[in-house]
Amino acid sequence: MKFFIYFSELLDYKVYDSKGMYLGQIHDLSMHITEEIFPRTIGVVVRRGFLFKEYVNVPIEVVEPYYEGKIKLKIKTADLKFVKKQIRCDFSLSRDILDQQVVDTDGHKVVRVNDVHLLIVENILYLAHVDVGTKGIIRRLGWTNVVRGVVEFFIPNTNYFKQEKLISWKNTHPIHIGPKKNLLQTDIARQKLARIPVAELADIMEELDIFEKLALFKTFSVEMQRVVFADMSIQEKEELIDQLDDREASSLLENIPSDEATDLLHSISRDKSTNLMRLMHSQSSKKLHKLLGFEQNTAGGLMTTEYLSLPQNALVKDALDKIKENADQSKFPGNINSIYLVDEQSRLVGTTILRRFINSDPQSSLSSTCLNSNVSVKTEDTIEEIALLIEKYKFISIPVVDENNILQGVITTDDVMEELISLAWKKYKDQL
Amino acid sequence: MFKNILNKIKSSKIFRNLFFFFAVMGPGVITANVDNDAGGIATYSLAGAHFGYSLVWSILPITIALIIVQEMCARMAVATGKGLADLIRENYGVKVTFYLMVVLFFVNLSNVMAEFAGIAISLEIFNVSRWFSVPISAFLVWILIVKGNYKSVEKIFLFACLFYVAYIISGFLAKPDWNNVIHQSVSPTIDWNVAYLVMLVGLVGTTIAPWMQFYLQSSVVEKGVTAEEYKNTKLDVIEGGIIAPLVAFFIVLSCAATLFNSGIKIESAADAALALKPLAGKYASWLFAYGLFNASIFAASVLPLSTSYSICEGMGWDTGIDKRFNEAPHFFWLYTIMIVIGASVILIPNFPLLKVMYFSQVGNGVLLPVILIYMARLINNKEIMGDFVNSRRMNIITWITVWLVIILTLAMVFFTLTQG
Repeated sequence: MKFFIYFSELLDYKVYDSKGMYLGQIHDLSMHITEEIFPRTIGVVVRRGFLFKEYVNVPIEVVEPYYEGKIKLKIKTADLKFVKKQIRCDFSLSRDILDQQVVDTDGHKVVRVNDVHLLIVENILYLAHVDVGTKGIIRRLGWTNVVRGVVEFFIPNTNYFKQEKLISWKNTHPIHIGPKKNLLQTDIARQKLARIPVAELADIMEELDIFEKLALFKTFSVEMQRVVFADMSIQEKEELIDQLDDREASSLLENIPSDEATDLLHSISRDKSTNLMRLMHSQSSKKLHKLLGFEQNTAGGLMTTEYLSLPQNALVKDALDKIKENADQSKFPGNINSIYLVDEQSRLVGTTILRRFINSDPQSSLSSTCLNSNVSVKTEDTIEEIALLIEKYKFISIPVVDENNILQGVITTDDVMEELISLAWKKYKDQL
Repeated sequence: MFKNILNKIKSSKIFRNLFFFFAVMGPGVITANVDNDAGGIATYSLAGAHFGYSLVWSILPITIALIIVQEMCARMAVATGKGLADLIRENYGVKVTFYLMVVLFFVNLSNVMAEFAGIAISLEIFNVSRWFSVPISAFLVWILIVKGNYKSVEKIFLFACLFYVAYIISGFLAKPDWNNVIHQSVSPTIDWNVAYLVMLVGLVGTTIAPWMQFYLQSSVVEKGVTAEEYKNTKLDVIEGGIIAPLVAFFIVLSCAATLFNSGIKIESAADAALALKPLAGKYASWLFAYGLFNASIFAASVLPLSTSYSICEGMGWDTGIDKRFNEAPHFFWLYTIMIVIGASVILIPNFPLLKVMYFSQVGNGVLLPVILIYMARLINNKEIMGDFVNSRRMNIITWITVWLVIILTLAMVFFTLTQG
């Protein structure tokens, strides 16, 4: 009695009914989607006919134990009703696993399944491994003996046939399952994926097509979504926002820094961005609306509205509290090193940084720790001007004000750098 | 003053149309230009030189078929985000994919041989020995991909394709008998002899080649075209589908006007160059050699790349020019082998290149119908295509096209086998 069997071997099996009459061939196995680690078979899909194929899904309970090369049913042919169309089940091996791409959560990459390795326990088949090796392909092609003969002829005592490239189902995440490509959104799936480092996840995403990317992305937790999204290329981000439904896209945009959200809203179609803004909380949409009004390459377009500000009479203690409150990056994506002091009309009075007040007396006035130069840029200033200022004063971020000196937002060096690099790259490419 | 004129030009309708024309230029136009490779130029030249105007009528139906087939690929790319080999693997299994890929490999390998033959022949016109030109070109092509700067060179190739304009001008300068051309185009007379039919299906075969479907679909996927942007891609595909046969039309026309009318049968590259004489005079052979060289090396860079991509995609092996050799060994080995074999056979004295070309035509012929049938079935699968599934009307046109191409290519295979 074998413990393991390859799905490709089962596919050739002939099926006979209880009276020994030939019924057809195994076409597929339908599986149970459970919270268990190894899904179990719930039915055998039998196919008959050559030009006009018919199918029937036989429940596993009426299938006798497996014999070499054939299986027998406990019921008669007359009890089964064949249909013309392929049977729709939630999860089946031929359609959803074999020849499809899956994520190897242990090896951190996307692989294509060449064969499926099934475990037999008390007449029930469990999905144990997926085969991603060349031997799987050779087996599917039916050339195992030929290849073995050739290889052993040239290299006797080879251990080539003892090596298998199997990945445990425990370490596998299927990307789409079911007729409508709906996904396996279980806790198990999340746990499997959570083991992959974020940088690797972004690499994995790169290898998938947009729809698989979408399915995988939806399985992530909100926090994971935010981090993985930050690591994607602009093109990928645009594609993803485009494919997510409006509600999901808008909540994602609310969770990322507002300057990045603005850039994305700029690049997608006007209809879509209006829809997304409508779905956001009024506060975030107001903020983004304002940012969208600025030219992309000016201070207004580059700035983010996530910054820390305090009234001009605040104490050092207030500043420390403010920083502690906002230390969680998932809630406040902005920079917490700089604090801006403003008067009652929100006009910028001064800038201070953590290093200058962290050792000061908590009860002393914050304004006394301000930088000597009150440098800021205007919303319409260009990127070149901002870059010069940042270089001159060695700032990590620089405040942006309007014509009345009212604080509008801040620009961080990395945003400026990103923009400059892409400008430089464009120039370089034009020269080519 | 100058600015005024500039503004006027900018706001003119022609400029805007022209600008739009170039703006949507993308994978469709590139694929179409690669399509006019060494084999293409040879076939079109022969068609014009040996059969005069009697084949020009076929260009119009070929154009329509090309556009329909290519549009299907682009649409599948947008709807699924997957390459054609991927789709065939996922829906029809590894067996079908494997054998298709084996045939694709050998067919494209013989195409690559043809490209290197084109390189050798064109540079011999400039008195460069093939023992020098072929190894160096092969190495350049190889390093281009391994070093990963193909994309920047692609534009140079594309620009160099403007050479084809020479055929258009030459076609006019040769003063073809336009009445006859128009008459032949609208009321075609088909000669029911074998040579004529072989040439006819040869035209179809070189214009609608199997590799193009894989290449175009992967390029559109790589470009990341979204559903809303699809209409631009469609225009791009139509643009490409018109450019390639238009060039073919003028090659046939100028060859017919110069060579056929003076009764010259093409026997060497120098004969084929005569078609450019009305434009370039005694420099015709240089111009021809330059064009043939560009076309050959363009295709010699694209074909091995596209073939290795498709095969690795279908078999589930790692791909990508941004990877290192040992990260994607299958990919780089396939790529290297195609270039090495493709280039070295050209250096073998008395290598039966014509036999190989015959084989490649037959291979194309066997492969294309199979791929077209899979394409037509995939594009009708609502589960895969979603809203992009073929409409009823498109379906009728698609299946008519598919069957016409199938009948023609099967006829070609039959003729090539019984003749060769």
